[in-house]
Amino acid sequence: MTRAWQIILVGALLGLFALFYQGLWGNPRYIPTILIGTPAPVFAAPQVGSSDSLSLDQFKGKVVLLNFWASWCLECKLEHNNLLALNERFGRDPNFVMLGVNYQDKEPDALEYLRTYGSNFQHVRDVKGAIAFDYGVYGVPETFLIDQQGVIRCKTIGPIVGAVYDNYVQRVLPALLSGSPEQVGC
Amino acid sequence: MIVELGHFSVIIALVLSVLGVFAPLVALRTKNADWLRVSRQALTLIFVLLAAGIASLEYAYLTRDFSVAYVASTSNSKLPLFYTIAALWGGHEGSLLLWVFILSAFSTVAVWLHWRTQPAIMPYLIAVESAVMFGFLMLIVFLSSPFERVFPPPLDGKDLNPLLQDPAMTMHPPMLYMGYVGFSIPFAFAMAALFSGRLGEEWIKVTQRWTIFAWLCLTIGIMMGGYWAYYELGWGGYWGWDPVENASFMPWLVGTAFLHSVMVQEKRKMFKVWNLFLVIVTFSLSLIGTFLVRSGVLTSVHTFATDPERGLYILIFLGAVLGTAFGTLIVRAPKLKSRIELDSVVSRESVFLFNNLFFLVAAATVFLGTLYPLMIETWKGAKVTVGPPYYNAVFMPIALGLLFLMGVGPYIAWRKASVDNLKRNFLTPLIVALVVTLAAFALGFRSPFSLAGAFVVGFAGSTILADIGKVSAFFARRDRVDYVRGFYRAFRNNQRRYAGTVTHVGVLVTVVGIIASTVYQTEKVVSVRVGDEFVLGDYRVKLAGIHDVRGPNWTAKEGRFELYRGEDLLTELKPQKRVYEATQSPTTESAIYAINMGHVFLTMPEVSPEGSATARGVINPLILWVWGGGGIMGLGILLNMFRPRRRDE
Repeated sequence: MTRAWQIILVGALLGLFALFYQGLWGNPRYIPTILIGTPAPVFAAPQVGSSDSLSLDQFKGKVVLLNFWASWCLECKLEHNNLLALNERFGRDPNFVMLGVNYQDKEPDALEYLRTYGSNFQHVRDVKGAIAFDYGVYGVPETFLIDQQGVIRCKTIGPIVGAVYDNYVQRVLPALLSGSPEQVGC
Repeated sequence: MIVELGHFSVIIALVLSVLGVFAPLVALRTKNADWLRVSRQALTLIFVLLAAGIASLEYAYLTRDFSVAYVASTSNSKLPLFYTIAALWGGHEGSLLLWVFILSAFSTVAVWLHWRTQPAIMPYLIAVESAVMFGFLMLIVFLSSPFERVFPPPLDGKDLNPLLQDPAMTMHPPMLYMGYVGFSIPFAFAMAALFSGRLGEEWIKVTQRWTIFAWLCLTIGIMMGGYWAYYELGWGGYWGWDPVENASFMPWLVGTAFLHSVMVQEKRKMFKVWNLFLVIVTFSLSLIGTFLVRSGVLTSVHTFATDPERGLYILIFLGAVLGTAFGTLIVRAPKLKSRIELDSVVSRESVFLFNNLFFLVAAATVFLGTLYPLMIETWKGAKVTVGPPYYNAVFMPIALGLLFLMGVGPYIAWRKASVDNLKRNFLTPLIVALVVTLAAFALGFRSPFSLAGAFVVGFAGSTILADIGKVSAFFARRDRVDYVRGFYRAFRNNQRRYAGTVTHVGVLVTVVGIIASTVYQTEKVVSVRVGDEFVLGDYRVKLAGIHDVRGPNWTAKEGRFELYRGEDLLTELKPQKRVYEATQSPTTESAIYAINMGHVFLTMPEVSPEGSATARGVINPLILWVWGGGGIMGLGILLNMFRPRRRDE
């Protein structure tokens, strides 16, 4: 074993232990929600299936539902019908818009996914994961609700199913759309 | 009282493990064999005491003694008997106890088995094993005791995690631990070789069967975990690149590399340092796996406790073991230069070398993917996940490379392969592989990985078949018998080699299962009301009704789905949405219909009060090959372990 290998081995071990030591003091289940109540990070990104760009700025003054998804994500499939139903129900409101953000995915896979499961709203591609990084997305699916002033009001980790979906339909979205975000309760 | 006796036995075992470390060292120094015999007795006694500790805890489970905190937190008065017994390893404390118990059992067996033949190794073996036991017992006695009482005792237990209430899951942890711990025997022999300076091929030959035994257990454990994930987690996938799945996969990868490279040392006396390195890495990864699962450093479905104090202790222990092992290797390695260098790049030695590099790179990519979120969180404060796309992109090419080498390795000449050797062994398989690839393309394979997969499966499969054909023909001609008998004679003549072939066939079968079930998978998520039908591939699925059912400790909404092909009713599928009473936690129970080596897989993840349900149907063609291949791999390993001994072993 040459000197260089010995140094690499020792260095790798020390680095690993430093990492583990640091890691011990974090709580892996804690997911920061510091973004709630702060302005939504603005982005512009190409749409899925076309090179035209879409920007969050375009939807200024509207309530935006931002849903991060990927074709390899199983829970995304579970919530998919509910997302379509949400847009059926609230999409006619000119103050409401839904936007999908396709995360860590290949474009053909994403297109195939939308073709299979259907889509009634627009999707952008998060090519380098930059949007997800700005929003602190930990995994998919995650959903953000942005109010008319462009402030993040809600964050849902995991699929919008069951009680979460009911809450969205009955309380959260009506409250946001009526311009009283303080009563959102999510 | 009985639990206190068990607790006391474990404390005595801890004290004895200190003796187990020092008595052999005294024996080495004073050359007094009595000390060594004392340490052997200590080791045996530790095994008995830990068995008593486990028995006392099982007694508490069976008598539903919820004054024991650990029993209360992992079981419940309504928990069925089978899971009550297995609940012992359903949580952090008990599974550590099981870990160290298996370790003590294996070390005791190893000491009695090798006592006569390996006297010089014994002191080191006992000291190393005792030291590892000491580390775990300290943790159990001082930080993670399963024997603590609570007062006042709760009326009822909190219940075992519902996801663990499943047959495959009860056997999965013990099998994995047997694999992890099994590697501690080759590890201890390797450390003994390093400390004692007896660095020949002996330790490799002695530990060969231990290595394959550990590998077998690890393989079965991983396969069982995959099967559990497949039908119990309800998403129909068997592998999700979860950090804890990865934690068991990494020692498997390096262990597999080790299993191969020892052959080179046996045959050609090369790779000496390399093998020591591999066995140390394998066992280190087993320990790191335990650390990752038990310390709460990473998020995953498997992490149980998040207690930095325990984590810190495990980390210090890990540092001591890894530091000693790698430190000794670094100090001793200069003595170990192999005399023989590679003669040619086109030779079996170099195939083994590439095999090893590929396995290590594969382990490294999994390692990086697993730890990357932790690195980002530690140094940037942000949370990220590494999804399947990363692993698929980096892991698949390596896996394909390995499969290709699997087709080349056993059939290429040692030292230097001649052009003639290459042509004779590989020209036909290459042509077959091309034909298979074209056929796959015609059958609808489109992604580069699946096509490349078809190519390497065709190639490796035909080299194996060609070899069996040739050797059977040779023996048939020599002994004037038919081909089947010829093959049998070939097998008897070289059981070790053909046991390896069987294992390789198992790998190919698993790979075919993986490719087919991925390429041809059909999936549908629908929202249905009672009476509705939906089409799933060649089948029709009709929701005939939803009703309530009740189990020993859960209630559920059960969907009754009728599965039709054409007009024929094939079966009824009854997936459930369960809620476990004690914890109020929901689980999704899948319903599976096996047909033509594949599965129709159905779950009902959501039921609304108005009677509509979300159903997810998946058709997984040839999925049974994934586990069937695992069974064949296991058969190969058993044929290897129970082969007749040769004189030099």
